[in-house]
Amino acid sequence: MFGSWTFGKKLAAGFGLAALVLLTIAVVAYRSTTDLIESNELVSHSYEFRAKLAALLSDQTDAETGTRGYIITGIDSFLEPYQAALGEVNKHFEEVQALASDNPDQQRRLAAMQPLSTAKLAHHKQVIELRKSEGLESAAKLVATGKAKTIMDQMRAIATEADREERNLLAIRSAEAKSNAQWTLAIILWGGLAGVVTVAAIGWLITRSLTRQIGTAVGQVQNSSAELQAAANQQATGSREQATATSEITTTISELLATSRQIAESAQRVAQIAEQTAGNARSGHGTVDLAQDSIAGIRRQVDQIVAHMLELGKKSQQIGAVLDIVFELAEQTNILAINATIEAAGAGESGKRFAVVADEIRKLADRVGGSTKEIRALIDDVRSAVNTTVMATETGSKAVDVGSRQFGEVATGFRQIAELVTTTTDAAREIELSTRQQSTAVEQVNVAIANVAQASKETETSAGQTLQTASQLATLSKDLLRIIRPQVAA
Amino acid sequence: MSDARSLLSDRAAELRLAFDRSFAEARPPDPSPSENLLAIRLGSEPYALRLSEIAGLFVGQKITRLPSRIPALLGIAGFRGTILPVYDLHVLLGHPPAETMRWLVTDAGASVAFAFAAMDGHIRVSRDAIVASERSGNSRAHVREFARTPELVRAIVHLPSVFDAIRDQVSENTKKEER
Repeated sequence: MFGSWTFGKKLAAGFGLAALVLLTIAVVAYRSTTDLIESNELVSHSYEFRAKLAALLSDQTDAETGTRGYIITGIDSFLEPYQAALGEVNKHFEEVQALASDNPDQQRRLAAMQPLSTAKLAHHKQVIELRKSEGLESAAKLVATGKAKTIMDQMRAIATEADREERNLLAIRSAEAKSNAQWTLAIILWGGLAGVVTVAAIGWLITRSLTRQIGTAVGQVQNSSAELQAAANQQATGSREQATATSEITTTISELLATSRQIAESAQRVAQIAEQTAGNARSGHGTVDLAQDSIAGIRRQVDQIVAHMLELGKKSQQIGAVLDIVFELAEQTNILAINATIEAAGAGESGKRFAVVADEIRKLADRVGGSTKEIRALIDDVRSAVNTTVMATETGSKAVDVGSRQFGEVATGFRQIAELVTTTTDAAREIELSTRQQSTAVEQVNVAIANVAQASKETETSAGQTLQTASQLATLSKDLLRIIRPQVAA
Repeated sequence: MSDARSLLSDRAAELRLAFDRSFAEARPPDPSPSENLLAIRLGSEPYALRLSEIAGLFVGQKITRLPSRIPALLGIAGFRGTILPVYDLHVLLGHPPAETMRWLVTDAGASVAFAFAAMDGHIRVSRDAIVASERSGNSRAHVREFARTPELVRAIVHLPSVFDAIRDQVSENTKKEER
């Protein structure tokens, strides 16, 4: 049970037990000393009572001496002892009565002595007054009556009896005081020895228990300090690594901050350019609308040209049809002329004049045929030109259509561009705002990281201090172990 | 457009003037004897027919096809109230047959007709410009003379020879059929 007590409990129990022993000894010694003091006071009381009693008899003696001197001489100066005794006798009597207040027998004796003392003093007064008034003889006669001697003898007898009793009391009280003194010495001696033994035993027990307990605790402290050293080393290493990582993070975050700022500036520039682009897109959209109107006008003109050209083609075809008829007529005329020539040749001499006419008709037919061929070529050229023109015009019309459609697409594209650029502007502004917020956040992160770095450095410093403290603790535990268990520490 | 119209007007006026002048001027003397030829084209080869050997020139006559063993016989056609057999002149002169036979001539005896694809027109050639095939050193079937024109040289088809060949072939076929 004692082994499981705490240090404080053990020390409190040990010191409490020692204090109890010492207190017991002190109480006993105190009581013994008190008894001794009381015994001594009683002895002193007895001595003082006897002295005061003797002084009271001495006052009576002085009064009688002064009275006798005056009676004999009649000189007043001889009355000085008498008068001094008058002043002292009541005082001494009261003191003696006070000292005898605890003893009824002595009080009874003093009560018996007090009228004797008063009568004696009154007798002295009567003698002195008689000497003064009647002279020596009258006074001598009164003295010769022996009254004073009787009273004095009675007083001496009472005083002797009181002194005897007080002497007996003194012997008893002295013996008691001696006994008390011996008893006190014995208590002081043996109580001191007992207290020393008890304190030594308690000290041995406490020392033994505390040595074992502290030794175990110191061993644990040693192990703990070793573990603490290892932990502090790890913590210091971790703190250094954390400080290095934090430094790298700070560098990265600084770069990130710079990049964020560049992104914000770029986003701002993009927003400005997007606004300019939106303005240009709106302007381009207006220009495209004007161009679309112009293209619509061109389209109408081209349609009219195509219509005119198609009409021209139709007219050319009609001319060609007429020309075919003319050509056929010329051909038939030529055939008729040839046949006429054949017939004229068959008619002999009379047919020669007819042959000439036929020949002229044939030549005319040939020329007409040639002319029709030329006209055909011209008409073909015209038709070809018309066809080419129509085709070119249709191609142009298609191109105009395509251009118009493309312009419409361009207009739509400009509208979409304007819308997209507006969206881009909004997005760029959001990006700028977000990036600025991000920059602020990154700055805060940077500050936080700087705080972390500072905390890491402080942690490293603290780990170093912890390591130093752990080393000191290990040294201290070794010293402590060496103090409490030298054999183990050695 | 106005240039073409003025060109046509000028051309018509020129023709009208030339036609009127031909009747107004005196008849020029015949400087040299000449030959009237009908210029034709068989395939890509230029030929000529003597107008004196044909009875008439026709165009676009409808030819009614007939089955025959004679490859050159195209069918029969009506000419001025007479129905005549029509022969392909290309085949007769050793050329591949043409797809369309627009032109036809009847021989002087008006017994057969010859069809051909293209006609260049009526030309008059001086007799001096006509040379025999022996002299030209170029011999072809049914061609005995050549007419030299400023542009080219045309082989003159000897239609009586062609007619004889047809007659021989017909008689031979008739004999074969009789056998």
